[in-house]
Amino acid sequence: MSQSLRPYLQCVRSSLTSALCLSNFASQTSERHNVPEIEAQTSPEVLLNPLTVARNENERVFIEPSINSVRISIKIKQADEIEHILVHKFTRFLTQRAEAFFILRRKPVKGYDISFLITNFHTEEMLKHKLVDFIIQFMEEVDKEISEMKLFLNARARFVAESFLTPFD
Amino acid sequence: MAPPEVHQLFHRPIADHSFSADKQTLAVARDTSVELYGRTGSGFALKDELKGHDKTVTSVDIALESGRIVTCSQDRNALVWEPSPTGYKPTLVLLRINRAATFVRWSPSETKFAVGSGARVIAICYFEEENDWWVSKHLKKPIRSTITTVAWHPNSVLLAAGSTDAHARVFSSFIKGVDARPDPGVWGERLPFNTVCGEYLNNSAGWVHAVSFSPSGDALAFAAHDSSITVVYPNGADQPPKAVISVSTQLLPFMSLIWNGEAEIIAAGYDCEAYRFKGNEGGWQLTGSLESKGGPAEEREESAFNMFKQMDLKGKTKDDTQLKTVHQNTISTIRIYEGSNGAVQKFSTSGVDGRIVIWNS
Amino acid sequence: MSIMQHHSDASLLENWRTINIDALDPESSSNFDTSTLHPAFAPVDENEIRTLGQQVRQLLRSGDAEGALRGALEGAPYGGDEAVKDLHLQTVTEVLQGIKASEMSPMLKRIFTSEGGGEALDVLMKYLYKGMASSTTRSVTSPTKPSMLSPQMTGGFSQMGGRPTPRNENDGAAMSVLLSWHEKVVEVAGLGCVGRCMSDWRKV
Repeated sequence: MSQSLRPYLQCVRSSLTSALCLSNFASQTSERHNVPEIEAQTSPEVLLNPLTVARNENERVFIEPSINSVRISIKIKQADEIEHILVHKFTRFLTQRAEAFFILRRKPVKGYDISFLITNFHTEEMLKHKLVDFIIQFMEEVDKEISEMKLFLNARARFVAESFLTPFD
Repeated sequence: MAPPEVHQLFHRPIADHSFSADKQTLAVARDTSVELYGRTGSGFALKDELKGHDKTVTSVDIALESGRIVTCSQDRNALVWEPSPTGYKPTLVLLRINRAATFVRWSPSETKFAVGSGARVIAICYFEEENDWWVSKHLKKPIRSTITTVAWHPNSVLLAAGSTDAHARVFSSFIKGVDARPDPGVWGERLPFNTVCGEYLNNSAGWVHAVSFSPSGDALAFAAHDSSITVVYPNGADQPPKAVISVSTQLLPFMSLIWNGEAEIIAAGYDCEAYRFKGNEGGWQLTGSLESKGGPAEEREESAFNMFKQMDLKGKTKDDTQLKTVHQNTISTIRIYEGSNGAVQKFSTSGVDGRIVIWNS
Repeated sequence: MSIMQHHSDASLLENWRTINIDALDPESSSNFDTSTLHPAFAPVDENEIRTLGQQVRQLLRSGDAEGALRGALEGAPYGGDEAVKDLHLQTVTEVLQGIKASEMSPMLKRIFTSEGGGEALDVLMKYLYKGMASSTTRSVTSPTKPSMLSPQMTGGFSQMGGRPTPRNENDGAAMSVLLSWHEKVVEVAGLGCVGRCMSDWRKV
């Protein structure tokens, strides 16, 4: 793991652990409803200050906590346009299958590539530290995945180019 | 110190729990119903189920003398369950609130109970003989957000409440004809209904999760979401308090707290274990956890065979799905189980992990 | 027909279906006055904070890094406007960058155990998050950065487009200072410190 990745993930881990202190909270606006307050945004006092953890301008995590839900948005590293396209396709693949991932949000928050929404019902059913581990592992793996895909893509492109150009020499 | 008594009732969150006076009956709030468990030897067995709410039950309390059970739920209702030879009979309480009921507690006199709600009011409920039903009076001002918790003063008139507007407040809930006129004390001289005897806010704010009066009733402690507990020593009506001591901890926030005598507080919450605070008017501090950790069970020597077996079965060497604490998830309620004159011998905790644990303090 | 006509006219005039009526109700929970969640602040003048910044830098130059850090944290301008707050953020960041990595932990421990030290570390934590947030928002809005959202514009899949520019690297270096401070502060002041950073309405 690179030198600056570890403190970055560590910072995300401690920020998340602290933000994931959720409780069951019924809506103050609509009767007999229980909605994630961070999405409803109807009661300012039950929202906490959002936190940004950044490694550089291309890699950052935005954590928006509230009394019964936390929204986590990740900006994945995109060094060039190929990576940009790969990230877009990859996150689209995941968000289209959001229900299989429980905590994945169908649409990322503006300015980010992928968002998660964790509610108190998730922290009741699943272990909190494992949820945090999941996010951290996702962040670790996604970078690896993207660069691996880029390598494959380049290798293929080279191969295609070579066989395309062979008849002309 | 004897090890704590652990009862895994089920694998759903326990919103609240309450023991009867003889400790033979345990009521727990589970989803939309309240389950009654009876003591059988060393364990608890399901005895009865109180079904009457259609949304998550948020709180339950058994009156020690009369055995009446009061429950409240996010469906905006509170029910009083009267024990009878054929089982518990529910009576709907006229709360007159239009949002979730969040917290309920009997007053020590058992003639009233207080229901906190998301409608920014506290309903003080009492029985009206003429009409034969439970009616309520609202404490309204100056509450600005959902009430998360309430606690009674030993005189059954003063009521402390915590709210998501980050304030802990002390109100008078004096109801003519129900309460005896209280003696003037440190909280005030004359106490008509809805007198605000105190309003406290931490510097770093944070929703108030728990409030509690000291056994004498002359001090108030509250726990807030900024991982702190604050103890207030009032100084009579219209005077600034003698001392307001706030202890900011390095831990995650506390969800519930009890006093053990006048100089000790036990609090528990998102760290899944109970912590002890000691102090007085001069200052308070965290003295440590009530759990003894690093027992022999946890540091078992792993053989190489076991290690490879684990790697083969689960793809990892260490099982990290178990927390080292007794509770495996947030502790939401802590209550006195056995105590006398304000000193606590045993207390019980319940949490999101579906466990009830009885501890020696 | 005429009714429909009337309706569409009305919605053209003002889109009444999209009006948030809760916002118009003073009793609604969406109109909670969050200024009641913190004590009133005295307004802070820009000159005041400039002088404080100079004093802090003076201390830093004379070798009293701890004094500089404490001074900067205790003078946090809660009552100032955004410009004043950004100015002070610069001061704090400079102090943080001026302290050697080996000195971080012992210094934080000394501050934490001293009178009012826990409070100072809470403020430091707020500055760490603000530092990370501000540099990223600044770069997002900066017009000099080539847009990566339009591959057609640059024609083809140029891999040179997003090479880390010197500025980008600077940002990364500044971030890694903040990140290592964050790690050290959590070690000393615990997760409670992060929690207070979220709950506190006194913003830096």
